[in-house]
Amino acid sequence: MSDAAGGVIQIGWQGLALATLFVVFVGVVSIRMSLGITKDLAIATVRTYAQLLALGFVLRWVFAINSPWLVVGLILLMVLFAAQIILKRSPDAPPGIFGSAFVAMALTGFIVTFAVTGVIVQVQPWYLPQYVIPLAGMVLGNSMTGISLAIERVYADFDSREDELLALVALGATPWEAAHGSVRDALRAGLIPTINSMAAAGLVFIPGMMSGQILAGADPVTATGYQIVVMLMVAAATAMGSVIALLLTYHRRFTSDGVFLEKGYRREPR
Amino acid sequence: MLLEARDLTVVLKGDTGDVRVLDAISFSVEAGEIVDVVGPSGAGKTTFLRALARLLPGATGALFLDDTPAEKIGPGAWRAVVALLPQKPSIVDGSIADNLLLPWTLKVRAGRTRPSEAALGAALTRVRLDIALDRDASRLSEGQRARVALLRVVLTAPRVLLLDEPDAALDDVSSDAVTQVTREFARAGGAVVRVRHHRSDGLASRRLHLESGRITTAEEVER
Repeated sequence: MSDAAGGVIQIGWQGLALATLFVVFVGVVSIRMSLGITKDLAIATVRTYAQLLALGFVLRWVFAINSPWLVVGLILLMVLFAAQIILKRSPDAPPGIFGSAFVAMALTGFIVTFAVTGVIVQVQPWYLPQYVIPLAGMVLGNSMTGISLAIERVYADFDSREDELLALVALGATPWEAAHGSVRDALRAGLIPTINSMAAAGLVFIPGMMSGQILAGADPVTATGYQIVVMLMVAAATAMGSVIALLLTYHRRFTSDGVFLEKGYRREPR
Repeated sequence: MLLEARDLTVVLKGDTGDVRVLDAISFSVEAGEIVDVVGPSGAGKTTFLRALARLLPGATGALFLDDTPAEKIGPGAWRAVVALLPQKPSIVDGSIADNLLLPWTLKVRAGRTRPSEAALGAALTRVRLDIALDRDASRLSEGQRARVALLRVVLTAPRVLLLDEPDAALDDVSSDAVTQVTREFARAGGAVVRVRHHRSDGLASRRLHLESGRITTAEEVER
């Protein structure tokens, strides 16, 4: 139940059951007050159990096998899921963005993760899963949010500027010259959540990784070092992922002759 | 012929089957000539102008500028010479001068000298716009926006000017200014194709009637 292991107090099944009681309590309140969230809450609770338990066992297995191929394969799988989620979150984007999202996520994920583990933290061996996988998760999760915000934004902005885009192209503008303003705004939109959380870190909340390390018994100042690296890494990953994704996708709304495809000229169902 | 089109055709996929928006239109215009395109709404007039400017996805047929086929001229370079002014004047953020100089920020005009402030001021006076060049363009009235957008295109000295209802929503002063600029452009050797709803203003030498994507009649206009 509550025996200390490596500085961490373990939570047993009874602890989990007690925690679940909180959710059951909210569920009862929801039913009594007809809030209509009971079903969503129940599904979310089950998903939390299932996904995180699965993750725990998978990570335990990956750590035990300790193979570079497995680590790289797992990151690729995460990239694939992330690209799929980006596609789902951008219903108005033109077809063919899956490949671009995948490339942007993969480049960002591998470059930023291994730059941090190899150069800053200097883990030995380079693929040490205890470090590489959690850091890759943070890099991918945040850049995924940034990329999907940026992609969603750039195409919405194109549509709201379609008269201006026509006028610009009519004056001889290339797709990049016409799209530039929207790409810049989309990039800013993708970076805002990251910049906001950097500004509030330490004042409004204790960031997740730092909380985790402190709970695991680490010295708060040591945990701070890691947290700063992580926040900078996340900012770099979000910016890099959004830039790559936007550069790979913005022209998909233009023909090969550089004409912006207004709604009436799009024939592709997705 | 300055600009020539052969068999311009555009087929759009609609919910109820394919729609021939332009149906094998052949057309040409000479230097110094002004041609009006008239016809009911939805006849394909705007589509026709966009096709001439190579701004229409999926258009087929052949276009020639001075007998040079369009394929030999890059799309950006073509549009810099066969310039379309869309019906809705599009004004970008910034001052009037920023708007008028916008074409010179584009790669297609790299190395070309931009007009001086004096030239811009004179151009504004020519269209009876008595406003400072550094004024914020977002505060212009509809008639002022239309004239700035027209000047922006005319100042780039294209060879063919495609005007989509240039005086549709304008008061008399603005409308007269647009007519005058159009006349001067043609006198200097430019060709003009206009989509119009208004009654003839005596500028055009030919009037084409467009209906269901075809030219039904082409009449010479006595001037």
